[in-house]
Amino acid sequence: MKLRHYETIFLLHPDLSNEDRQEAIDKFSQIITNDEGQMVNIDQWPLRKLAYEVQHQRQGYYVVMNYGAPGSAIEELTRNFRLDERVMKFMTTKLHDEFDYEEAMKKFVKKEAEQASTSAEPSESEMEEKGE
Amino acid sequence: MQRPQQNRYKRRRIYVRRKVCKFCADKSLVADYKEPELLKGFITERGKILPRRVTGTCAKHQRRLTNAIKKARIMALLPFTSGHAIE
Repeated sequence: MKLRHYETIFLLHPDLSNEDRQEAIDKFSQIITNDEGQMVNIDQWPLRKLAYEVQHQRQGYYVVMNYGAPGSAIEELTRNFRLDERVMKFMTTKLHDEFDYEEAMKKFVKKEAEQASTSAEPSESEMEEKGE
Repeated sequence: MQRPQQNRYKRRRIYVRRKVCKFCADKSLVADYKEPELLKGFITERGKILPRRVTGTCAKHQRRLTNAIKKARIMALLPFTSGHAIE
């Protein structure tokens, strides 16, 4: 089945314990992998203040999943998000029509490295350049 | 006939610094809904999207910026209006 490159961000309830959150994340990532999908990365953000109240909550945990999956997996994922009360908000965006695991992984690693170098101390990056 | 010329002359005298698109200046910068701190620089205190004539963003990047801001709003990363914002 044809895989496409997607990114899903969802917002978990702030009152969930670490175990509950992990369980929820595992559940959703399994929906993708069970349908021939390939996970590139799962990024868990720390507890964050929301811009406005959502279900009377002022904060929440964001999780960003970067993966390739067939369209049927997205349908199933969306259905589960709607049913699951731990999820306050979710959004799936298509990044590319084509998905190649190696390429997506390479792109992701490169982006991570870039972000690390820009957020790191300028003296550190200068040192790295000198080292090379 | 002289008046418009005078006006033009006057207009020319007003010095406006040419604003450069932030995203063109820094190629590594991408308008991403996951970076609300970056997007905050392109909205007003009330949460409205700033026009291109104010920020100097080019047409191409303004389109992407708008989409990113709208996505960030949906995900509660940015406020729709200050009236519902927390704090």
